[in-house]
This record gives sequence, C-alpha cells and structure tokens, in this order.
Amino acid sequence: MTNLPLWFIPLFPLLGTILLATIAVVSSGSKKGPSEGFVGALSVLFPVLSFLSVVLLAFGMPEEGVRQTLCNWIDIPMLKVDIGFLFDGLSRVMLLFVTGIGSLIALYSIGYMHGDRGFTRFFAYINLFLFSMVVLVLSDSLLLTFLGWEGVGLCSYLLIGFWNHDLNNCKAANKAFIVNRVGDIGFLLGMLCLATLGGSAILNYDALNKFIEMLIAGGHVDLAAPILMIAGLLFFVGCTGKSAQIPLLTWLPDAMAGPTPVSALIHAATMVTSGVYLLARLSRMFSVIPEALVIILIVGMLTAFWAAVAGLFQNDIKKVLAYSTISQLGYMFMAAGAFAFDASIFHVFTHAFFKAALFLGAGAVIHSLAGEQDMRRMGGLIKKTPITACVMIFSFLAIIGFPGFAGFWSKDLILERIYTNAPYGEFFYGAGLLTAVITAVYMGRLIIMTFFGEYRGSKESEEHIHEAPASMLIPMVVLAFGAVFAGYLWADSMGIKFFEHTLAPVVGDAQNYLLGKLDVVHVNPMTFACFGTAAAVLGMIIAYVVYGLKRQPRLHAKWGSAPEGFKADWTFFFDYIHEIFIIMTKVAAFVVDMIVDKILQGIQWTVGSIVEIVGDGVSSFQVRKVRVQLTLSLVGVVALVAVVLLTGGLF
Amino acid sequence: MLLHLLVLAPFAAAILMMATSKEDPKSSSRLAFLFGFTFVALSISLIAAGNQATEAIEWFRIPGAKGPVYYYLYSHGLGAWMVFLSTGLSLVALITGRNTFENNYRNFAIAIFALMGAMNGTFLAADAVLFFFFFEAMVFPAAVLIAGFGGADRKKAAMTFAIYTLVGSAPMMVALWYLLTVADNSLVLSLAVAIQNLEPSMQVTLLVCFLLAFLVKTPLFPFHGWQAITYAEAPAPLSAILTGAMSKAGVFGFIAWILPIFPLSMEIVDSMLWLGLFTAIYGSLMALRATDGKKLLAYSSMGHLGLAVAGVFSLSESMLPAVLVLLVAHGLSAGAQFYLMGIAERFAGTRNIEQLGGLSARNTVFSSLFGFVAVLSLAVPGTAGFVGEFTVLMSLWDMGPLPALAAGLCLILSAAYVLRFVQKVIFGKPARDYEDGKRMTALEGSSIGIMGVLLLVFGMHPAFITNALQLFDETAVQEMNKVTHQSDVATDATVEASADSLGDAVVDENIAAVAQPMTEDDLRQLDSNLKANGFTDEERASLIAQLKSMSESEVADAENATEFNEATVNEEASKHE
Amino acid sequence: MELQPIYIQILALVLFTIGLITALARRNVFFVLMGVELALNAVNLSFVGFAKTLPAELSVAGQIVPLFSIAVAAAEACVGLALVILIFRNSESVDSDNYSNMKG
Repeated sequence: MTNLPLWFIPLFPLLGTILLATIAVVSSGSKKGPSEGFVGALSVLFPVLSFLSVVLLAFGMPEEGVRQTLCNWIDIPMLKVDIGFLFDGLSRVMLLFVTGIGSLIALYSIGYMHGDRGFTRFFAYINLFLFSMVVLVLSDSLLLTFLGWEGVGLCSYLLIGFWNHDLNNCKAANKAFIVNRVGDIGFLLGMLCLATLGGSAILNYDALNKFIEMLIAGGHVDLAAPILMIAGLLFFVGCTGKSAQIPLLTWLPDAMAGPTPVSALIHAATMVTSGVYLLARLSRMFSVIPEALVIILIVGMLTAFWAAVAGLFQNDIKKVLAYSTISQLGYMFMAAGAFAFDASIFHVFTHAFFKAALFLGAGAVIHSLAGEQDMRRMGGLIKKTPITACVMIFSFLAIIGFPGFAGFWSKDLILERIYTNAPYGEFFYGAGLLTAVITAVYMGRLIIMTFFGEYRGSKESEEHIHEAPASMLIPMVVLAFGAVFAGYLWADSMGIKFFEHTLAPVVGDAQNYLLGKLDVVHVNPMTFACFGTAAAVLGMIIAYVVYGLKRQPRLHAKWGSAPEGFKADWTFFFDYIHEIFIIMTKVAAFVVDMIVDKILQGIQWTVGSIVEIVGDGVSSFQVRKVRVQLTLSLVGVVALVAVVLLTGGLF
Repeated sequence: MLLHLLVLAPFAAAILMMATSKEDPKSSSRLAFLFGFTFVALSISLIAAGNQATEAIEWFRIPGAKGPVYYYLYSHGLGAWMVFLSTGLSLVALITGRNTFENNYRNFAIAIFALMGAMNGTFLAADAVLFFFFFEAMVFPAAVLIAGFGGADRKKAAMTFAIYTLVGSAPMMVALWYLLTVADNSLVLSLAVAIQNLEPSMQVTLLVCFLLAFLVKTPLFPFHGWQAITYAEAPAPLSAILTGAMSKAGVFGFIAWILPIFPLSMEIVDSMLWLGLFTAIYGSLMALRATDGKKLLAYSSMGHLGLAVAGVFSLSESMLPAVLVLLVAHGLSAGAQFYLMGIAERFAGTRNIEQLGGLSARNTVFSSLFGFVAVLSLAVPGTAGFVGEFTVLMSLWDMGPLPALAAGLCLILSAAYVLRFVQKVIFGKPARDYEDGKRMTALEGSSIGIMGVLLLVFGMHPAFITNALQLFDETAVQEMNKVTHQSDVATDATVEASADSLGDAVVDENIAAVAQPMTEDDLRQLDSNLKANGFTDEERASLIAQLKSMSESEVADAENATEFNEATVNEEASKHE
Repeated sequence: MELQPIYIQILALVLFTIGLITALARRNVFFVLMGVELALNAVNLSFVGFAKTLPAELSVAGQIVPLFSIAVAAAEACVGLALVILIFRNSESVDSDNYSNMKG
C-alpha cells in the first residue's frame, strides 16, 4: 500500500532528539528557558509522526514482512554487518505500541514535567529512548538490535538519574546501568558464540533462522546444540538483565527514582519487555534447545512468584507497580519457556496498556499530592480524583485478570499454554495460578490504600488535592481504554485469533516444531478461564478482608514521607548477593591499589634509590678542581695511547 | 612530500613560534592555531592519499653495521591514523592551552609542536633506527612540558616519566644495534630476514628487549609506574596527547615492529595476551578507587590499551582493523575526557573528584559535553569505541571464551568507574564552595564536541578508518626491496617470501613457520587459515600433503624450511589470483 | 744553519707543552684559555712543519688543515670567552677552582 522506507520510523525520534538536545544546550544559559508549549509540541510531534508511519506501514505489510537494507555498517574481515530493517508481524506489533504509547506518554509528560528545569532535556531523552527502542525492535540483525539494546539502557540511566542533584537518584541510575551492563555482556558473548558457529553473517535473523532450518533438515542439531545452548543461555542472561528477571532484578525497583512517565514508558511498557521480544525473535534458535527453555520457564516462574510476594510489602506506590511489572515479566518468560512465544508477546502487548495506565494513574496521584509517594499517607482519593481512580481501577481489573479485561485474555492464555506445553505443566500452572492470586491481593491493597477509606495525609495538603490537567488525563483514558479492550485481539475462548495469525509467520515454525514433539493434552479452555477468574476473585476478597475491612495501616511517627530512593525495601536476598559481588570487586580493587601497586611502586623506588646511592658514591670520586680533572683525563688519554702503542691494540 | 611536511614541518613551526611574542598570547596563539589547523589538514590528506613512501635517503652509517641508516618515511593506514590523532589532539591542546597558560603560551606551543613532530616521525618511520630516534625524541618535549607547566609535583613527575621511558627503551637500543650488525640495513624486511637466521635463544633475547620498550611506553602491567603520576601532574592538554597519541606508540610498536620482525612462539603470544588482559582489569580496578580525576582517566586508559594489546596478540584475521578502530576511538574519547577534566580543574580549582560535584547545575554546557563524552567512552553501540571493543572481543573469542570473558569483565568495570566519575564530577551538590574559574570557551567546547561527533561518525561508519588500512602492500614491499639492493637471488627470494607473508593478515604464523621446521601444529594452523580463505577440501588436502612430504625430506635444514614456506606462500598467492 | 723540519717539530712540542702546562697549572680561566689556544696553535705549527717534509701533492693537506683549525679555534675562542664571561657574571670569580657547581 505504501512505499514508505522503513528508516523513516527511527528517523523521526532521532531528529527530535537532535533538535531538542540542541535547544536544551543552547537555552541552558538563559534563566527562563525555552517556551514549554513549543518544546512540548515538538516533543510530541516526532513520536506521533513515527507512529503514523508505523500505522501506514502496518496496513500495507505483506505476510512475510518487509526487509530493507539501509547501508553497510561494519565491514572488516570476520565481521560484516549491515544496517538493515525487518518489519514483520512481530516488529509491527511491538512498534505499534512502542510508538503509540510513547506518543501518549510524551503528551502526558508535558503536564507532568510542567515547570521542571530540565523540561527540554527530558524530552530529548524520551525521544532518544524511542529512537533506540525502535531500532531495537526494527533491526534485522542481532548487532543492530544490540545498538538499540544498549541505547535503551543508556536512556534508562539518563532518565532514572534525571533529577541528578540528588545523589541517591544517581546511584539508582548507576545501579540500573551496571546491572544492565552485566546482562549486555551476556548478549555480547552470545553474539560471539553464534558467530563462531556460522560467521558474522549468522547475526542476521533471517540467516540465523535459515541456518537452524538447515541444521534440522540435515539432522545436525545434536552437533550444534551445545554451542547453541551456550549462546541461548548467554542471550537469556542478557534478557534477565534488561527484563529484570532473577538474578538481575534488583535494579528495577530502584529505577522508580526517575520521573513517573519514565517509569510508565521505559520501566513498564516498553524497555523491560525487550527481553521477551528477543526470546520471540530468536524463537527458532530456542526451538532446538528445549533445555534452555526449561531454564527460562523455571526462572520466569520463580521471578513471577518472588516479585509478587515482594509486592505485598511495599509502601511506595511506584514500587508496588515495579514489583508487579517484574512479576508480569515473569509470566511472559514462563510463556516463552513453555514455547508459547506468541502468547508472551500478547501479554507484552496487553501489559503495556494496563501497566502504563497504572503508572500514569500513580503519576497523577503523586502529582495531585505534590510528590507524595507513600501509600500510607493516601486514601479516599476516589472522591477527589474520580477519573484517575476509574483509570486505575479498570487497569487493576485488567492486571488481575478479571474476565473481559485485557489481562484476563493474555494471562489465561499463558496459563493454558503452560499447562499443556510445559514439562510438569501442572506444577507450573499451579504456581502461575498462585501468583495470580497474590497479584490480585497486592494490587487490591494498592487500590484500597490509595483510593478508599479516609485520607491519611496532613490536613493542609488535603486542600491542594486536584485532578490532573487534561494533557495528562487524555493519555490515561486512552490507555485505560486499551486496558479494557486490547485483549479482544486474541480472545481465545471467543474464537478471535487475530493476534496469533499476525505472529504466526515469525514464531509459528518454532512453536510447531516444538509442539510436534509432544502430544498435547486437550483441556476445555473454559476450565482455565474459570480457574483464572476464581484466582482473581479470591485475591480481591483476600485483599478486601485484610486491607479493606478494618486494618488501616498505622503510620509510624518516624517514617519519612518519601520512601528512600536508593534502598530497595524488599528484594529478598538478591541485593545481598549483588552486594557480595560488589564487595568482591571492591576487595580486589583494594588489593590491587593498596598492596600490588604499593609493592610495585616500592620496587620502582628501591631501584631508583639504589641507582641514586651508587651515583652518589661514584660522584665522590669526582674531584672538585677542574684543573685536576683535566690533568687526570689527559693522563688517561696518554695511558690509553701508550697501551695501544705498546700492545698493538686493546683486543 | 606530505610525509616530509608532517615530520619536519612541526619542528620548523616550533622554531617559527619562537619569533612570536612571549608576552602576548593573542598573537602567538593565532599563529599556533594556524599551524595546528594546517597539520590536521595535512594528516587528513595523508589518510586520503593512501599508502605512500618517500625516497630513501641515506642518513648515516653506524660503525659496525652492515648497511646504512636511511631517512625513509612510509605511511600505511595505521601510521596515518596515528598521525591524525597526534595532529588533531595537538590542535585541541593548543586551543585549550590558550586559556590555561596565559603567560607562557608561546613556549607551550613550541613544545607541543616539537612533540607533534617527534610523534609523527615515530608513526611514519620505515627505518628502525629512525623509528627509535623519534621514539626517544618524543620523551624530551613531553618531559619539558610536564616540568614547565605541570601541577604541584611536576618535577618528580617529569623525572619519573623521562627516566622510566628512556631506561625502558635502552635495551631496545642495544638490541637494535646488535641487529644492525647482522642485517643488511635497518628496514623492516632486512631485520626480519636477519632475525630468522639467528639462534632461537638470541631471538628471544632480542624480542624481550624490544618488547620492554613498548611495554613501558603503552604501559602494561607491571611497567605502569610512571603513568599515573605523569598523567596526573602533566598539564591536562598534554595528558590528552600523552594518552591519545603517545601511548599509542607502544601499541603501534607491537603491531608495526614486533609482529613483522619477530617469529613469535605460542608462549609469547599467550603471555602477552594475558598480560594485556590483566593490565586491562588491573587498570579498571585502579580506576574504581582513584580519587584524582586525572589518575582515574590514566588508569582507564591503561584498561583500554591493555585490551588493545590483548587484541593485537589475539592475532586473528580481524585483529588489525579491530585494534585500529579501538585505538582511534580511545585516542579521541580519552583525549576529550582529559581536556574536559582540565577545564573542570580550571573551573573548580581541584581535580580531586570527591571535591567536585554539582557542575551540571553550575555549568550546564560543560557538563552536557562531559556526560556526552563519558557516554562515548563507555563503548555504547553506535560509537567508535563499541566497534573497536566488539571486534577486539571477537578476536579474543577466537582464542577461547576465557579471554573474552575477562574482556567482558573489563567492560562491566569500565561502566562502573565511568559512571562513578560522572556522578562525582557533575551530579549531586557541590562538595565545597569555590570561586568559579574560567569557563569553557566556545572554541574549546566546539573542538571537543567535534571529537565527540567524530566518534559517533566512526561508530556508524567505521569504514572510514578500516578502509585506509593496508599495512604492507605489494608496492611498499617492492620499494623496500629496491632500497635493499639485493644481488643474491636466494636472499632476495627469502625477502620476498617473508614480505608476502607480511602482506597477509596472518603475519606471524608464517614467519614462525619460516624459523622453525613445520610441525603438526603449524600444518593444522595453515589448514585452518586456508579454510578461512575459502579453499576447497581437495585443494587443502593436496597442499598439505605436498608440504608434509617436503618437510619430511628436508626438515633439518632451517634455510630450506624457509624456501618451502616461500613455496606455500607463493602457491597461496597464485591460487588467490 | 738551514731550517731542519725537526726543529719545527721541536718548537711545536715546546709550545704545546707550555700551553698544556699553562692550561693545567694556572687557576685563572683566561690563562687556561690562552694555554689551550697555544697548544692548538702548536699543533697547527706541527702540521705545517710536516707539510714541508712531504711531497708537493700531499703537502696540500698539511697546509689546509691548519686553516680549518684556525677557523675553528677562532670560533672556539669566541664561545669559550662568552662562557667565561657568563660564568664570571654568575660566580664573580675567574678562578677555575671555584667552578664546581656541576658536581653532583
């Protein structure tokens, strides 16, 4: 339908970044700063343009996708990589919601960041993030994906540490970047591992898929499996870093130090799901190493459960949402582990809507309470901010999987696939269901503590509570709409399978290959739906009983109002495990600095002083008088000449 | 002509600068900028012009040497890019120095030009003695600059620097002298031939002498004692040149002198590889603890260069372009960081990073640039640093997963210390009250900004760098042969053989094969090389069989070994055609 | 009495010895310099003397080298005197035994 070149999509946010960064730097000298309306319009314009081009492309996309190579990137012996783009079912879905939600959140941020000193800088970062994310999703090779991969990590770092006058924010940002770097090294080594198998050409997704097909066709799977296994696990390490899975999950709760729109966009809807995207992208490779998928399944289950439990104990509204994000990501990984890559992407899609809506709602609450984030100082806000409350409640119903809402369809699908596909499916299904109950409990707790009961903050702050401005409300309402209806793209029990068909060209082969190996148990989908609903309702009831009925949380006098930015309250022992590594590094650095280096310096100066002492000794032979020296040297010459003459040469 | 200009004209410029006023930095800076720009333009045209050589002019004869020493310049891609770094960084140094050394700017410029000339000579010399001459000559202007313009501890720093580096290259001088007594002349090829005819133990001794000089210059652990204090006490513009261009002379030496001349045994290669990796980790760990901003940058340089040396000794096919990109990227990013640190020091009056902080609020443009350059030095994809480090990692992965893992650890550590550095310098609240010093001027800012943009450009299109790379192509080898004037046919053939193998990307394996009789390992190595070059199975099998029969009949005779290596190489070449 | 070449050499030797002894024995720098000059010229004389004994085509060298060395000696005297003046400015003395600053 349209001949729009693919590089238009990343081009717009890139232009936006350059333009806004220029404005930010140029205007930094002036007191007033550039006009917020102008900057805001610019910063929404570029993501929207990008979104429009995605939409245009999406409608005209042929079944097998569009591939375009822009130019050569790296060309040296052993490594030839092109900058090429791949627009297929998977990247279409991802791009649609990345640019769409990105545009909405840019709009929201205009209201949220109103009056901030770094207004322009913020939008430059947001545009840079969208650029990186688009490149991540749209690229046709692993190396270019890695560009986006590190790029989003960098933007996440910049945005977490956005309010950089507070060192705690900086520390949280550093933590996020370094933990992500650990994962990125996994990604990097994974690429190297693949390259040893088939040269650098294999880094291209199409070539990789073809390579795997060839392996399968030629029956060489067993030969390549060990290396592919290592590569797969290394890529998975990369995914755990970016998607905050065990063991690299600790950075995400801390990342909540950033502005709330950032949390919504980066740390809930888009960036953290790139790990799931990568798994789906590499599904063909993972399909020949089912052992790795089992590991992914287990890690996903543990993370989902773990984070859900941790979510129960948070008091900071954003941290509850952060843990809930980790938990939902765990679900997605479980789905990928049960080789339901399409279901995992579907959950990414629905999750993007309701989690972004939840975060934006939380942002609106925080905005209306002038920066208060502690849920123990909230309550009863439904009367003051009804629209925000409605948005939050709809999204709440979506996340717990209440029938009819988006989360219901995707979560249900995942649980079903886990039951039918995974080894020991019953066990994993049970764990997933239990997690769903806990999800309903802690999300119920959040809603109850925030919107119901009595207001527990100070009296004077109560006066100022106000509904957010329209620029913030519109995106929230749109997202809430998505949270309700996005699930109907793949309502399995109603027979709508639009989403599955979109993704089939990308992940279908891999899934069929895996499914072909096992006999699927057929269970009536309605059974799963019933169980899922029961879990959600049970969770809500528990939440109501425990938090809603009587027990108002008591606020201890010495508790500060703002939760600490850097300290994660409840990451179980993962922070301590990380601490061990950090301490090991510190000890190594200490040993190197204070012992090895001192010893080396000691040797160095010892040699130096020995030379000096010897030199002093020799110089004492030096006679003070010039004339005597001259005489001595003459005598020396004469002696030398005499020796030469008498013996006929020294040698 | 270009080559002569780049090597000799800086000295002329230094002399001309003496004519300018000492009191009036305005006039002298104008002349200095003019010269600086000219040299940068010259170096760019050198890169664009590709490989070229000057006429070999007989310079002098060393008593006892067989052949004369030539004044003979030769530019290959590697050298040309290093010259670009040296001229480019010198220009920015002249620009930033303008605001830092008001009173004595003229002398600063004179020393910088002298240093630039010596560095260019080092990177362009085709004659070993000429190379050594410039290699040593670099030290003096640098030491004078440190002693004249450095920080509080400058005397000690200058002495440490000068003595350490001069002593380090003294064994090289002795080894070179010895080599000249056995080689026809001091060009690379004759040296390589001469070495092959020596005893293995002698070869190792000479190799160690050469290595020592470059180990000290780079520097690698445990010879890094001079580095931290020198970089910290030197004036920031000089530190930038030292790390950006001069320390490259060490890595350059490994690539352009050690690899072609010496037959390297596996132990040497392995130990150098691990030494490089250990240095990289060591430097990163030291950088984690450093509180002096310039020391931190010094250690970070050590980390990057250690990685580069490890890359060199991975000896993979893509080693040269990988290391070259890494070196250029590091030269630009580390240089820019040193300049910025110098500006921060000028602004806040201290270089202790615990005492800095909050610059993002006080001096926004500066800290934007600072953050930008820091990100560029993190090897984020899309920057030249990433291309370099990824390709080096790829070469290391060829040696096995363990070196690659160590390098990966380095990348994590580098993220940690760079972020710590950024956080301490520009974020948070100022650690103390101070009077604002001179801000960054627009000229400084834009020149450093251009370095950053260059990093991005090279990151997105590294072909700019790698296309220029042809270390020893045919014409150069022929030229060198012409200079050598060989009448003896057999020796001539040997020269050509080793010359051809030099032309190959896998320089050293072939030379190693020349020196020692072929073993099973060598055959296997050759086999894999051929495979990588796209030979079919039958071709390889026949070639190997041929080789084996030859080596069995004449295995004892090293000279014959040379000949059939030549045969293989020729055959390889003809098959390629 | 005819001028024998050996006489010239003897004279040169005497002059050289005087120059050397002056240079070594006197403390005044100017005398030292003069002694050096004297020794130098004694060598020149010796050259010329030898030129006389050699056949004509070879004797040219013996006559030209002194010309060179006279020129060099002039330059050397310039530099030497300049140095002496500078040293005198610094140390206020022409006594060569006082010049021991260079010692370690």
